[in-house]
Amino acid sequence: MEPIDDLLDEEEGALELHTDPMRLNMGPSHPAMHGTIRMVLDLEGETVLNVDIQPGYLHRGFEKSCERGTWNQVFPYADRLNYVSPMLNNVGFALAVEKLCELQVPERGQYYRVILGELSRICDHFTCNGATAMELGAFTPFLWILKVRDWIWDILEKESGARLTHSFGRVGGMAHPPTEHFIEDVRGVLVEIRKVTIETETMLLKNRIFLDRTQGTGILPKERAIQYGVTGPVARASGLDYDVRRDDPYLVYDRFDFEVPVGEDGDNWDRFMVRMEEIRQSIRIIEQALEQMPGSGPVSVDDPRFLLPAKNEVYDTIEATISHFKLVMEGVKPPPGQVYSHTEGANGELGFFIVSDGSGTPYRVRVRPPCWYNLQACREMIIGDMVADIIPTFGSVNMIGGECDR
Amino acid sequence: MEHSPEETKITIDGKPVPFEPGDTIIRAAWRQGIEIPHYCWHPGLSVAANCRMCLVHIKSGRQMEMPILKWNAKKKAFLPETKPKLQPACQIEAQAGMEIDTAGPDVANARASVQEFLLLNHPVDCPICDQAGECKLQDYWLDHQTSLKRKRTEPVHKPKGVRFGPTIVYDAERCIMCTRCIRVCEELVGDPVLDMRERGNRNEIVLAPGRQLDHRYTLMTEHVCPVGALTSRDFRFKARVWFLKASPTVCPGCATGCNAHADHDPRYGKVYRLRPRDNPQVNQHWMCDDGMMTYISAHEGRMYGGLIGRGDEREGCSPTESIRQAAARFSAVESSRIAVVLSALRSSEDNFAAVRFAETLGTSKLYVNARPDWVGDDILRSADQNPNRAGVTHAAGREIDRNLNDLMRDVAAKEIEAVLLLGSASTEFAQQLSALGELEAIVNLASNESAFTTVASVVIPTVSWLEDFGTFRNRDGLDQQFRRAVPAPPGVQPAWKAIATLAAEMGRELGFSNIKGLRALLNESTSSVSAQSSDSAAAAGATV
Amino acid sequence: MTEASLKRLEQVCEAEVIKTEVFRGDARAQVSPASWHKVANFLRDDDVLAFDHFIDLTAVDYPERSIDAARFDLVLIVRSTKSKQRILLWTELEEDEIAPTLSTVWAGADWAEREVFDMFGIRFEGHPDLRRILMYDEFEGHPLRKDYPIDRAQPLVPYRNAEDIHKLPPFGIEEGQPFGRVDWSNRLKGQDQQVSPSIALHSGQRRTLSDSDEFTSQTRPAEVTSEE
Repeated sequence: MEPIDDLLDEEEGALELHTDPMRLNMGPSHPAMHGTIRMVLDLEGETVLNVDIQPGYLHRGFEKSCERGTWNQVFPYADRLNYVSPMLNNVGFALAVEKLCELQVPERGQYYRVILGELSRICDHFTCNGATAMELGAFTPFLWILKVRDWIWDILEKESGARLTHSFGRVGGMAHPPTEHFIEDVRGVLVEIRKVTIETETMLLKNRIFLDRTQGTGILPKERAIQYGVTGPVARASGLDYDVRRDDPYLVYDRFDFEVPVGEDGDNWDRFMVRMEEIRQSIRIIEQALEQMPGSGPVSVDDPRFLLPAKNEVYDTIEATISHFKLVMEGVKPPPGQVYSHTEGANGELGFFIVSDGSGTPYRVRVRPPCWYNLQACREMIIGDMVADIIPTFGSVNMIGGECDR
Repeated sequence: MEHSPEETKITIDGKPVPFEPGDTIIRAAWRQGIEIPHYCWHPGLSVAANCRMCLVHIKSGRQMEMPILKWNAKKKAFLPETKPKLQPACQIEAQAGMEIDTAGPDVANARASVQEFLLLNHPVDCPICDQAGECKLQDYWLDHQTSLKRKRTEPVHKPKGVRFGPTIVYDAERCIMCTRCIRVCEELVGDPVLDMRERGNRNEIVLAPGRQLDHRYTLMTEHVCPVGALTSRDFRFKARVWFLKASPTVCPGCATGCNAHADHDPRYGKVYRLRPRDNPQVNQHWMCDDGMMTYISAHEGRMYGGLIGRGDEREGCSPTESIRQAAARFSAVESSRIAVVLSALRSSEDNFAAVRFAETLGTSKLYVNARPDWVGDDILRSADQNPNRAGVTHAAGREIDRNLNDLMRDVAAKEIEAVLLLGSASTEFAQQLSALGELEAIVNLASNESAFTTVASVVIPTVSWLEDFGTFRNRDGLDQQFRRAVPAPPGVQPAWKAIATLAAEMGRELGFSNIKGLRALLNESTSSVSAQSSDSAAAAGATV
Repeated sequence: MTEASLKRLEQVCEAEVIKTEVFRGDARAQVSPASWHKVANFLRDDDVLAFDHFIDLTAVDYPERSIDAARFDLVLIVRSTKSKQRILLWTELEEDEIAPTLSTVWAGADWAEREVFDMFGIRFEGHPDLRRILMYDEFEGHPLRKDYPIDRAQPLVPYRNAEDIHKLPPFGIEEGQPFGRVDWSNRLKGQDQQVSPSIALHSGQRRTLSDSDEFTSQTRPAEVTSEE
């Protein structure tokens, strides 16, 4: 039997099948549309002519809900923004309020925040890359990678008491100081993470299917990325050399030696590789932070207007009782004003634009979700590609519904 | 004032503040809404200057320096230094051009020290203290101290839960000896029943020998207490203040019409207390005990639905059904033989609706139900116990001098076949009213059970004064509006609306459909005959 | 550096810029709604400033602001990939005022403006596709306005109303509230005049004793809302 695709190779007799444009609904309930996104596609054959991306299916009124509690009651909501790396959101929000209050967290607290945040970033990048691979049919790397997530969650659980939604940040510090064996625990995990990083790459980077489906698909040019406000790994893969940790250093990031990986083509492959490299850089940062972190001292500011007093003092002294009372009943009171504070979240620039009227309740909390703008640019990546390319593209943009729709 | 504007200003932290001659610094600031922290000063009382919280640094004029010894950590020794002598802002009279610093390090330090001193022996009572949430010790600790006290020994213990009288309980441990309560008794009431005993940390407030705190303004001692030392026995342990919302209202206790806040819990729709609302035209900062307790009447014997029939045959029904029944009974009699009894206890709006009702029926038989006089005084209490006697006159457009006795006489003379009773009457009238029981159509619009509801053949439920918008005209002719604090029971309407519905059921039109229309009509139809000075009525708009 | 970009903006757009300030390290500039588009274009195209990287666009609702100030703040944050500086540009919009769109200046403003429209009801002139983006089309009102009650639910599929389900509604209005919170829905109707003590303090309204009545009548005219 002669090969059926012989015909296709011939220039002259190229098979031109006539197709009518077709409208296809992808999502909101689709296995690859994690976080419930609806895409309305106009197709010509398998080629995407146009796409309307419709977010909002996971909208829970984050910003409105913030306007009914105290400033510290926002932390549980912040956990549920990017639920793959909640600690980064916690720190980001805490830094925003601290910027408005002009608070400086003690050095140990800053290192503590850096370490927990970078662990969360590793967790986030691994999850994204694992899920991308899984959606391309590679189930093993995903399970391999979930090991890492579990190890990191073990540490975060030990520190904060919760595996996923930590609610660990506070205005002016962290809820608790590091546990006794924190440094040893993290060191031990880092060794294992290194191994898994290599193993993951060994499994995927020479896989023909994986290469074919990621290289040259979902391309986002640098200029468009800038215009669209794309940040984070997606922007860096497109060649935009921008990382908040290096360009606008917050916490103690200016004291670490790390590199910002930048891609060239802006395709799915670049995004995958940028994330793998960032995991390595995060490991470097954590190692340096562990080295530099002061062995003792407070992790939170010593100011009763922000931090709850110790419980034994609350029961024994009137001053601590008053402090506890005022903080619980009225909350932290930042001075009136508007402030925009940005940190490097796992998906890019995580900004909090907060407005205070001087009372204990936030007047407005606007979160600038990196996913929101990344997802908007997703349109540019998809148009012109095949339907099947949507899957790795959407995976490597790493849209997190909680953060995007809020 | 003869002074030019520049001369009558002082400067507080760089901000010019005008003052009136005789003002102290703290009063001039208070007029401008600037708070200088204080415990013992009260705008309605004399100056005691004993809490030392309002100490400020007066930078102009002759400077007084105090030699002190200050710990120098480097040299590990106390070294001589000087610091400016601070002066109490509540006692120093404002002088033109005075420069005052209320935020400098010396002042802040003094405040923190005063605050630490006041909390030295304070018990850990916030969780069980009714003042928590509106306590100045709490507010000022966070604003001005924010540190733990240095003392580590057992605090001094003093009497707790001392019963001062039928209304007030005293806790000496919480007391900061600001003497506001003593001054209220002395200066406002003129009955110096409280005084101070001992000194230093054994200091406490005591009653005069053989006396109780039982004059007519005892709750004002609790109201002025900046901490939780004096608590009202009525409010104690009932609610936590941060769950309460305040609604501006007017006391219905007498013709003075003191302005008040109705503190209510929106979760349960219940009012827990009244609190004086400052109004320099009416009650300054105060209210009497009986007025403070009027909120109870709104919840006592509340009518949640209509009633039909009397005695054993009485049955409950829905509010709309009660209005239908009332309309049926009124329609059965000749409309000119229907009497309408207005109420000096209800709002002008309710009375006006009743007056219109009488007009459309073509009856001239208007009567007024009012409470008898009680003991007044020259502080706040009027002898006239009715909050809205002037409002009834205003609504009717003329003085109505026929009261319940006249009604009973006319009933006995068989001139009246049906009666519309507005509001409630006290139980003393029960005997007197029994003759009404023989008539078929006695309709009562009531929010609470009273002698009227007993005698009525149809009771239409209405909202109480805490559940509605309305106006009382007080003894000075001031129209004072009050707002709804808590929601009415489901289906229960304001009396003016129930009357309008009743009229509509009888096929008559009163000419208004909402309270705005009613008010417009009220002011238009009565402006020419209003006996009150239009000036005070105009000014009244701003008083709520 | 932050001051330098503000100075540059002030020099060139002298007529358009109303106010510039640096607050907590944020360079902020206020312009009028009419020059919103022009200044934005300048920020992007100027060789020195070159604010090419779109960061965020959002709004804040101030229903109770004084009479000479408008209701909404429309806030734009952009960044320069060249100088790595950023600037916060804002303008004040009246309730029904239409703002010019920036989606032609930065592509990223497209969704941001759709979100501002959805959440605040601010319309953008020239926007290619001004649809709701987070809420559904049937949704009434704009949720981030202060007068939208936080406990108002508009379910597309009605809640079950069986008698045997004894479940509380998702939020009661007063559930878990801090002491100083403002009940916006009632306050804007004039029924709740409470101001948290700290707001009153900052706006110079706090009185020493029971919150004085003069203060209440100053902030809002005493007007009785009838129920119908």
